[in-house]
Amino acid sequence: MTAIDVMLSAVGLVAVGSALAVVSTQHLVRAGLWLVVTLGAVAVEFLLLRAEFVAWVQVLIYVGAVVVLLLFAVMLTRAPIGRSTDLDRPIGPALLIGAGSGLGLAGLFAWVFRDMRVNPPPTGSAQRVGEAIFGDWVLPFEVLSVLLLAALVGAIVLSKKDT
Amino acid sequence: MDKLKLPDMDYVALLPMLALFVAACLGVIIEALVPRRFRNIIQLVLSIVALAVAMFFVVKQSGEVVASKALTAGGAIMIDHAALFLQGALIVLGFVALLLFGERSLEFGGPFVAQAAVTVGSERDREQTGRELGSTETFPLALFSLSGMLLFVSANDLLTMFVALEVFSLPLYLLCALARRKRLLSQESALKYFLLGAYASAFFLFGVAMVYGFAKAVDFKAIHAEALLGEGNSLLLIIGLALLAIGLLFKVAAAPFHVWTPDVYQGAPTPVTAFMASCTKVAAFGGLLRVLYVGFDGLGWQFTPVLGAIAALTVLVGSILAVTQTDLKRLLAYSSVANAGYILIGVIAGQQLGLTSVLFYLVAYGFTVIAAFALISLVRDADGEATHLSRWAGLGARSPLYAGIFTFILLAFAGIPLTSGFIAKLSVFGAAIDGGQTWLVIIGVITSIILAFPYLRVVVMMWLSEPGESTPSVSIPGGLTSTALGIGTLATLVFGVVPGPLLDLAEKASSFVR
Amino acid sequence: MTPMWYIVLSAILFSVGAVGVLIRRNAIVLFMCIELMLNAANLALVTFSRINGTLDGQIMAFFVMVVAAAEVVIGLAIIMLIFRTRRSASVDDANLLKY
Repeated sequence: MTAIDVMLSAVGLVAVGSALAVVSTQHLVRAGLWLVVTLGAVAVEFLLLRAEFVAWVQVLIYVGAVVVLLLFAVMLTRAPIGRSTDLDRPIGPALLIGAGSGLGLAGLFAWVFRDMRVNPPPTGSAQRVGEAIFGDWVLPFEVLSVLLLAALVGAIVLSKKDT
Repeated sequence: MDKLKLPDMDYVALLPMLALFVAACLGVIIEALVPRRFRNIIQLVLSIVALAVAMFFVVKQSGEVVASKALTAGGAIMIDHAALFLQGALIVLGFVALLLFGERSLEFGGPFVAQAAVTVGSERDREQTGRELGSTETFPLALFSLSGMLLFVSANDLLTMFVALEVFSLPLYLLCALARRKRLLSQESALKYFLLGAYASAFFLFGVAMVYGFAKAVDFKAIHAEALLGEGNSLLLIIGLALLAIGLLFKVAAAPFHVWTPDVYQGAPTPVTAFMASCTKVAAFGGLLRVLYVGFDGLGWQFTPVLGAIAALTVLVGSILAVTQTDLKRLLAYSSVANAGYILIGVIAGQQLGLTSVLFYLVAYGFTVIAAFALISLVRDADGEATHLSRWAGLGARSPLYAGIFTFILLAFAGIPLTSGFIAKLSVFGAAIDGGQTWLVIIGVITSIILAFPYLRVVVMMWLSEPGESTPSVSIPGGLTSTALGIGTLATLVFGVVPGPLLDLAEKASSFVR
Repeated sequence: MTPMWYIVLSAILFSVGAVGVLIRRNAIVLFMCIELMLNAANLALVTFSRINGTLDGQIMAFFVMVVAAAEVVIGLAIIMLIFRTRRSASVDDANLLKY
């Protein structure tokens, strides 16, 4: 067991634990804060996988922007700061299906990739990622800008009020 | 540092999408510069011009498709006959639906709310419902959505497909929230559509990841090659396909992923419902066809039984639940679920015959469903559209013309000869028998009979009941709705009487390039 | 090193998110669960990118993040819109359409 493997398992446990907390906590604000922990842990996993650029984008976009927006929304909708009755629907069936399929999927992956060993590939530095984006993937990348523009226009339509 | 090497771009192939995108951007600028009362007409004209330009380039390319040059933009899009046919269909259907967006004569200010941000039920809200012009940002949003659909049906890899899926979905979620009347219903339908749509696209994405893990690439050619090769664990590929299918079947509203359909169809503004019922179906089935026929053909169609079960479930759920509906928009929503099932039967039929029938069905159904929703937008009372079934009783005596047209449309849905619905069902079932799926045809015929019942109930109600106090009047439509209604009805009739040309066109289009 | 655990981790995160969507009521928390699912998919993509030795998976993960950001914008706009009227962000209170 190498140092990387140890780190991987530790961070993985953090990710799963905090993900469970997001799903199960009764405090809405805390759900958002636990989400930060999960996303941060996944960002560390990205680093361990040598996907530097993706890891930093994850920190910037998800932790920096998305979660902050979500937390603002939680507060704007006057969510109760304490416990809420958010979890009182019957959870048995969903839990059963979800846990079953999740374990099945995890088991499948564990089996398919059981002996897989890979050599460290070239790192996903910003330069290489940038070259790939503006090379083969340039059309979808440009389309992303359409998506952002449409989302922007739409959000303004929904929330702008003339006085 | 080396210079970046850009892939070859065939800009003519991109022009239909670019035209719509440029028009959408211009539309946004118009919103900022032009006074409110001129916006509707300018936006409408701009959109129609853009659609005409897009159509021109689609037609221009259709004459010169070369298999070796069909792939362009770094392998992101594939302009083959099927893609061009679907793009053309989307543009034409989008044009007819956009006519409904622009209608202002049925109700002061049009079908959309003036300011979505105003709280529902407040004093200010009552004021704006009656007196303010509707927002016209709906045109750019619809154009964004349409350009996403054009990309979606021509995408050649799963990533482009995912991005295109989002480009066409996000504006639709927004459009659902913009109804002028019954605003709470409209907003809730948007929330429901959005949450379930985002959920479905998360599944789609995980499917993409698994397929990427199996095939080492996400373009359909590579997936096909890897699937044929059969190395690695094909379970990965099959589960990946299942997850992809969840995302796509959600969009086409196949059971059990249809739960959003009745609520969203009912809550969304009627023009948006017409747009969704016609264009989203074409786009989503176009994507599904490409995934199955181009990407996963190498699996040897092992998934046919599962898809068959979904198709059977879809037609059953759609037709049986349609019987119990009391609201016309919900009834049509369940009918659209059932129709998704019939189209799926055609998809499963396979071969060129199946493809041809699916393409024909999509176009024929698209026109009919737009006409149906155009007519629903005409029957109104003081509170807006009167969609409850009981309100339509005796409409035949009040306004025989519109009751007659609606009867014709319902008969087309039911698949009576001399309508496009008949030819469409016939060709789908024929292809299915040819493809050895006789059991699906039997279920299809039975459910068609079940489905005829709710349609006929509406017809009987319109013609044989006495008009009561509560029978609403039929508004005299303005030019735009009449045009849309006329085009839809005429197409239903023409494709029913002389289906030859469209069938030929669909047959020519029924080949994918890998 | 073994890439297996990364993929197993992504499968677990994905199903935790998927279950969360089914059992929570608050639209914003539902949304957090969907973000969790998208992130799990990203982890799978990046891991496969490493296994396959190509960069494509990382590019896809980057694209997904942008898409998720756009989704958040739309989603929160719709949620706030409804909240203004209903004073609640619970999806079960939004039940005019259920019958």
